[in-house]
Amino acid sequence: MASRFSSRVALALALVALASGCGRWAVRASEKEHLADPVMVFDGDPHEASADEHVLSNREGSAGGRGGGGGCGCN
Amino acid sequence: MRLQLTLLLAVAVVAPRPVAADDKVDATTTWYQEARRGNLGGLTVVHPQVDFGVGDEVSFEAGWSADAVTGATAAVYAVDAVSSATKFSDLRNEGHASLGFAGRRSQLAVTGSVGAERDYLSITAGGSGSIDLPGKNTNVALSYTHNFDQVCDRDNAMLGPLERRPLTGLDPCNKNYILGKDTPGMTVWRDVAIDTAQGTITQNLSPTMNLQVGLWGQIVDGFQSNPYRRVRVGQIDAQEHSPGTRARGALSARLNRYLIPVHAALHLSARLYSDTWGVNSAAVETDWSQYLGSDLLFRLRARIYQQTAATFFKDAFFYETESTAGEYFTGDRELAPVRNILVGGKFTVLTVAEDKKVWGVFEKVQFNLKGDVIFLDELPADDPDANAAGTGDQFLTSGQLIDAFVVQAGVLLNF
Repeated sequence: MASRFSSRVALALALVALASGCGRWAVRASEKEHLADPVMVFDGDPHEASADEHVLSNREGSAGGRGGGGGCGCN
Repeated sequence: MRLQLTLLLAVAVVAPRPVAADDKVDATTTWYQEARRGNLGGLTVVHPQVDFGVGDEVSFEAGWSADAVTGATAAVYAVDAVSSATKFSDLRNEGHASLGFAGRRSQLAVTGSVGAERDYLSITAGGSGSIDLPGKNTNVALSYTHNFDQVCDRDNAMLGPLERRPLTGLDPCNKNYILGKDTPGMTVWRDVAIDTAQGTITQNLSPTMNLQVGLWGQIVDGFQSNPYRRVRVGQIDAQEHSPGTRARGALSARLNRYLIPVHAALHLSARLYSDTWGVNSAAVETDWSQYLGSDLLFRLRARIYQQTAATFFKDAFFYETESTAGEYFTGDRELAPVRNILVGGKFTVLTVAEDKKVWGVFEKVQFNLKGDVIFLDELPADDPDANAAGTGDQFLTSGQLIDAFVVQAGVLLNF
């Protein structure tokens, strides 16, 4: 059990390290026009996102995992 | 009893939101209609939301939402739920506020909310933060919320689980402003503490593709049964009895891909969920956003969801003929094995003018109209061949293909 937990933590840390590494070179500021488009923003409509979670979490035994926030680093 | 609404609130409050670049007014109303069997009508929820936000580097947001709920509910989880159906109505109000601070690469926010309805009170406090890592292609966000909640229950003193009586709509649930006030011998307020935390990493993968990975966790500690609901165990109709602690976790991934030639975007998402009550689920969703000219946006959506039952959930026939599966028993459809399919669409009119107002003082006006249809497939929790009564009548929603629909209209004004 402890080793499984350790493996998951190690995997999560590796993902963070990988992601932050990508962040140096992946997309230049001048290439972010489409990433800044409203359709590319995760949960760009907070009311829709919360109402959606509202409906689904009242019908299903699960919740969460919707993410939110983020952003393209365009400004 | 609307514990789920509070869980939703925790989710909504905990999710870090991008700090608005403009001051805004956002108003949305959602109409949820669920079909119910019997002659008492369906379940109707009207959910208005209004938010107001000002500021950029230092921002303040405040908002209000409500739930007006009317419809039929089954008082007893039994082989025939329709015969015990009753009508009910409830009104919940919730107010929230947040104070945000934004730097060049980071954001911090503190949030709070207060919610009240006849039988449930909620106070939340939380905070969130996010930072763009060097290169501004990776965003890491963390958030946490704590709920100080109370739920009204019948005063069952020291009675055992099978002896407890349910709360009724006539029982007094007295309050002292936003704190519950016990009525000895009749009703008591029980505490529910909810800790919710979430972490997300959002990564730009290419000039037209980004990915978000999220890890969400929640611990609910306190009274989590529906105090009104009874479960027929043998010949006894006893108040539902759920465990006092529930630890929940979800792992999600979402991908957006912009398709330049067709001026559209493809969205893919998946979520895995598990909790200590034995509910495991998976959900996958795909959306397609299509621009029609520069001002119109249309989105199509399809989602499939399936979950397993809680370990203590049984089909009603087996509670009646074999008793419980251990200490706990429930008639909550959310803890039953179900499969949902959702299809829907959203139409957005977006009006933005360069360096001038488009309407009065507003620089941007956006109208949204959305509709979803939800199909439900209730699955047997126990051996269907041994279930002489079947599961076709144990919920008011049993045996219906189209279970619910959602219509939402909203307007967002930036000034």
